[in-house]
Amino acid sequence: MVNPIYIIAVLLGTAFLLGLFRKKGFEFGMALGMLAIAFAAVISVHWFIHLYSGTEGGLNIYTAGSKPPFSINLFMGVEESFFMSAINILGLLGFIYLFRAFREQGLKSSVLFLVLIMGMNVLIMSRDIFNLFVFLEIVSIALAGLIYLKRGKESAAAGFKYLIAIGVISAMLLIGISFFYLFAGTLNIDDYLQSNTLPVKGISVAIFLMLIAILLELKPFPANGWALDVYEAAHPGISAMISSGTATASIFLLYKLLPLSSLDWLPYLTVIGAVTFVGSNLLGIVQKNSNRLLGYSSIGQIGLMIAIIGLAPRLGDHFNFIFVSIFISHFLAKAGLFWISGIIMRSNIREWSVLRRNRLSLFMFGLFILMLIGFPPFPSFYGKWQLVMDLAQHKSFVWIAVILAGSFIEGIYLFRWFGYAMKEQDDEEKKIIFQWEKLIPPIVFSVLALGASYYTNNLSLLGPTLNLIPIYFILALFVLDFLPAFVKNSLVIAGMIIYSVLLYPSIADDTLRLIFGGIFMVGGVLTLFAGYSEKGKREGFFPFAVMMYAGLIGLIQAENLFQFFFSWEIMTLGSYILIIRGKKSMKHALNYMLFSLGGAYLIFIGFALSHIGQVTFDLQTLSSTILPGWTYTLIAIGFLTKTAAIGLHIWLPGAHAEAESDVSPMVSGILLKAGVFGLVLLFLLMGAEQAEQKNLLYILGWLGAITALGGNLMAVFQEDAKRLLAYSSVGNLGYILFALAFVTHVGWMTALTYSVNHFLFKTLLFLAIGGVVMRVKTHNMYEMGGLIKQMPLSFIAVLIGIITLAGIPPLAGYGGKWLFYNAVLSKGWYFQGMFIFFAGTIAFLYCFKLIYSVFLGQPKDKFRQVKEAPVWYLIPQIILIIGIMVFSARPDLLLKPVGTMLSQSNYFPTDPLNWENVTASTDLGYWSGYKIMLVIGVMFIILLSWLLLMSRKAQKIKQFNIVYAGERPFKPETTHFSHNMFSHFYKALGFLSIPVVSAFWNGLNSVTHSMAENTRKIYSGNGQTYIVHIMLYIIIIYMLMF
Amino acid sequence: MNIFPRIVFVLLGLFIVLNWGLIMAGIIRKIIARLGMRRGIKVFQPYINLIKNYSIRSQLSHGVMFYLGPVFRLSGGVGIFLFMPLIYGSDYWSNFSFTGDLILITYFMFFGMLGMALGAGEGGHPYSAIGISRGLAQFTAIEVPMTLAILSIAIQYQTLSISEIVAAQQGGIQNWTMVTNPLATIAAMLSFLGAMGHSPFNVVMAPQENPVGPPTEYHGTFLGVLQTNRAILHVIEAVLYMNLFFGGASNWGVLIIKTFLIYFWSVFVGMVFPRFRVDQSIPWFLKIPLVIGIAAIVVFII
Repeated sequence: MVNPIYIIAVLLGTAFLLGLFRKKGFEFGMALGMLAIAFAAVISVHWFIHLYSGTEGGLNIYTAGSKPPFSINLFMGVEESFFMSAINILGLLGFIYLFRAFREQGLKSSVLFLVLIMGMNVLIMSRDIFNLFVFLEIVSIALAGLIYLKRGKESAAAGFKYLIAIGVISAMLLIGISFFYLFAGTLNIDDYLQSNTLPVKGISVAIFLMLIAILLELKPFPANGWALDVYEAAHPGISAMISSGTATASIFLLYKLLPLSSLDWLPYLTVIGAVTFVGSNLLGIVQKNSNRLLGYSSIGQIGLMIAIIGLAPRLGDHFNFIFVSIFISHFLAKAGLFWISGIIMRSNIREWSVLRRNRLSLFMFGLFILMLIGFPPFPSFYGKWQLVMDLAQHKSFVWIAVILAGSFIEGIYLFRWFGYAMKEQDDEEKKIIFQWEKLIPPIVFSVLALGASYYTNNLSLLGPTLNLIPIYFILALFVLDFLPAFVKNSLVIAGMIIYSVLLYPSIADDTLRLIFGGIFMVGGVLTLFAGYSEKGKREGFFPFAVMMYAGLIGLIQAENLFQFFFSWEIMTLGSYILIIRGKKSMKHALNYMLFSLGGAYLIFIGFALSHIGQVTFDLQTLSSTILPGWTYTLIAIGFLTKTAAIGLHIWLPGAHAEAESDVSPMVSGILLKAGVFGLVLLFLLMGAEQAEQKNLLYILGWLGAITALGGNLMAVFQEDAKRLLAYSSVGNLGYILFALAFVTHVGWMTALTYSVNHFLFKTLLFLAIGGVVMRVKTHNMYEMGGLIKQMPLSFIAVLIGIITLAGIPPLAGYGGKWLFYNAVLSKGWYFQGMFIFFAGTIAFLYCFKLIYSVFLGQPKDKFRQVKEAPVWYLIPQIILIIGIMVFSARPDLLLKPVGTMLSQSNYFPTDPLNWENVTASTDLGYWSGYKIMLVIGVMFIILLSWLLLMSRKAQKIKQFNIVYAGERPFKPETTHFSHNMFSHFYKALGFLSIPVVSAFWNGLNSVTHSMAENTRKIYSGNGQTYIVHIMLYIIIIYMLMF
Repeated sequence: MNIFPRIVFVLLGLFIVLNWGLIMAGIIRKIIARLGMRRGIKVFQPYINLIKNYSIRSQLSHGVMFYLGPVFRLSGGVGIFLFMPLIYGSDYWSNFSFTGDLILITYFMFFGMLGMALGAGEGGHPYSAIGISRGLAQFTAIEVPMTLAILSIAIQYQTLSISEIVAAQQGGIQNWTMVTNPLATIAAMLSFLGAMGHSPFNVVMAPQENPVGPPTEYHGTFLGVLQTNRAILHVIEAVLYMNLFFGGASNWGVLIIKTFLIYFWSVFVGMVFPRFRVDQSIPWFLKIPLVIGIAAIVVFII
């Protein structure tokens, strides 16, 4: 093993050597510098490998061959080697990244860079306090020099403020060290720890000053104005070094010096960290400058790490895993993001749309953002899972809430930013060059991120129980993204079919999972068929489509809470990207993501609560939770964000309506069922007998009823066909929620029947309308009209769809209605039922508007030549129609197994439905789908034949040829009665559709933003103010501690 | 009973209902005219109209859905007839009521409405669409007290089967729902006013401002089919109310008297009150009839 002292020697030596080079030898000098850092990196990684695997023990190094206090004591342990490896690898890549900047400024600046790296290495290794101070100064001065790397007023001012701030902080540190030496008589950390010096107040204050100085180096909120100005003004390559490099060294320093204090710093660290995490992220949401935004995020993440250190005693053995997984995510992602920022050179986050010109950097940008927020499969996801689970075990509910709130706020601005990158207008005039040497570092970090994810998964407690095959499939699709769309589409369809076939035996006995699995997989394949009509490559579509379906099927397969949550997040992520692909989806996708994220966190907390006092993470633990009220309520609300119950529904209409034509059926007909499946699982596990749960169910019942009415009412007043269908989904999911809340046999049968029906008809309707929209290029129904002649098949599909939706016999929808009446009557929820039935009749209004405005009435001249919808849209529609017909004639095919399943569960032992061949009967009524179909069919044919006979000579005339009171109608546009069709209904009941819910969320949004905007004013940009902040911060913490 | 004799009885029943419907329409119109100090039409004028319409030679069609509209409409009317038991205690006159219960009939009403709406929609005439939009909007409110009344009697009799509901009312007027559950009956009879389409709820057809509403473009055979349906539907809806609230009928004579009286109730009110606009009629149904309907349920809960 090479002695780590050589790291310092080589870096320092090279730095001196480079000073001798002239301009001519620039390339050679740079190569030398690179070699030096590479050497440091190799040594530290080598040490880490050996120390981690245990083949080497830690090494104490004494300079000049003598013991302290005469020499400097360095220590190389496993922690040291890990952080040094991180810093040196970062340094190497950062050095490459800054190649051009160094060329402009000359080799002198690269000397500073080497000194910076060297200083950070020593900070990590040194066990001597004064030595730490010296190297902290070296690092600060080198950094100050590097801040000037970017010429300009801003960086000069920022560098100056940095120097002032650091000066004050160093002064505190130095005073602390002096007094420490006075009381302790040693400056060596280990000597002091072994000496058992009495903890007099003097030494406590000395240590306080040292620790607070280190803490201030970590830029706690709100004493961090100076740091934000630095992040904003410095070269992004340097900001990356500060955010991922010096912060790493400083936080390790804090960790190292913490044992010195006899006071219990941990609670304070928790509070300081948490305040920083939440406060910094909160201010981030009003930030428009990308580097400053990254600064806020960076400070926030460091705050989270400080809080984790503070919470260490509650995390026990898991502390290392949690800390490292959060650290590594921040480390890789933040450096990567700063580097990308330096490549595109756009300071306004709206202008990051230029990323779309380079798919690779867009991909990396997305990857780093998701890693920061903690989406699976990235390390921070595992870390946060473990963190929250452990905190729950110690009943630290406040900290769970604070940490997740901070993460949520971080999600707001990061996803908004991602949305800009995906969707904002890109000004093509401004040229941009993607320089290769600047792309290398983020690429390396992306690869490292994926590798880290893999290792974290293996190291985590429950990661190895995950089924990673779909994840590999998704990765393969990313690699194969260059292929034409139809090849990838076939590949995905084949993959899904094969997976379904393999999956089938494992769920064949479980009717519940079979039903939902069927909806997800069959629905998936059918909706993917529509994608064949897309030309070109359709880049970035298939990996995310598969991601959504992988998540959905993961929910079905999940055996423990972790797998469920993992799949839930994967599904959310995939669907978010699918939704944001729509032309006008930016805002709606953000809404969707925020509601999903909030909902997911509630589910997460619910899971954590249910895990209290339990050993396993089995799904069954939900049924033995010690906090049933909270657990079930939180989880239920989480699922309700996905089913879009009223109050949590405002994301749905926009997200579903603005998505691409074949994505709308995916997210509406299929994705919504994930929430239903979650609710079914939850209700199955929670046991409805207890009084508390009864209250919850009662409330959910009312919520479902109001949702049904509200959704349907809103649908009536829409002019946009897809929005109409989207609101209709809100209403329909209200029915399902209502029926689920019954928790009776027939209630659940209703809910499951309705889920299947809704899947069939809503997928059908969205596909049909999607096909029409593709042809006429507008969503506005009043612009269409009379399309029945051009698109007869789409018309039939919509007709079947709305008959099923409205529950008109003889089609399958009627079964749902019949079951509904039975369920309502047997449960006794008459008034809620009334809402539902009222909602049902209101559905006729929008059904009529949909089919009439689009297909009937007066055709417009500009659409006389449009063709039938693409055949790839029609094929799945035909299959769905066949499905509807089969279930209409033979409802027993679905209901019998469902009934058997429900009877077999301990929940509903008696099946109220009796079957006599194909006739179902309950205590109340009876229904024979097959015979009704037969009677109506025969009658219809007889009557039709009769009319055909009577009017066989009917003359066909054009639409416009109408009886018009002796005049001629003016033009189709004025003769097509469609816009504001139900104005009278609006006059009567429109007051029920006033968007109070949107107003509430908008209000909350503006309150948060103005709060952030006002708090932000403390950062005046004035260095003196910042010093006051720092001093006040020290004083306040001192007062609190002593 | 075998299927063939049943079909024979069904057709016979349909024939009787159709004729009674036409005669009743004539009588009612005669009464209305006399009340308005007019001489009025012949009682058999509906027959004459029907024959005339079926034999008109010129036929115009706007397209397939336009053509199917009347078929849907008539199927709706005939379908309700098919699923409705007519005479209490008679297997011969119980039609196909064994295939579905009260809920089937309530929802099958929409079948004809939807078909007609679509057919008229393809006619391309804005008046048709205006009439339909008014009709549908008004119907949502009409259904509310009716549904409450249905729930109320379902709670009362613990069944949704119409035959069983009729059976439970036998044995004298004191057993009729009208007496045993007056609130539900009132709610339902108020909603009946809307369902029948007489004033004050006839803005759908509004002859002055919106010439005849949905059927504007229909004439000849198509109109004949619609008139046939109307004759059947008026009787059969009255039969539904008769079965649910007024003890059903044990023979055709009783059926004819009761349906006439039930139907006449809507005519009677229509003679007295002027027409509502849609935005007036919807709130009307959602006020007093709704409250009565809720009360009809509350009495069973407490």
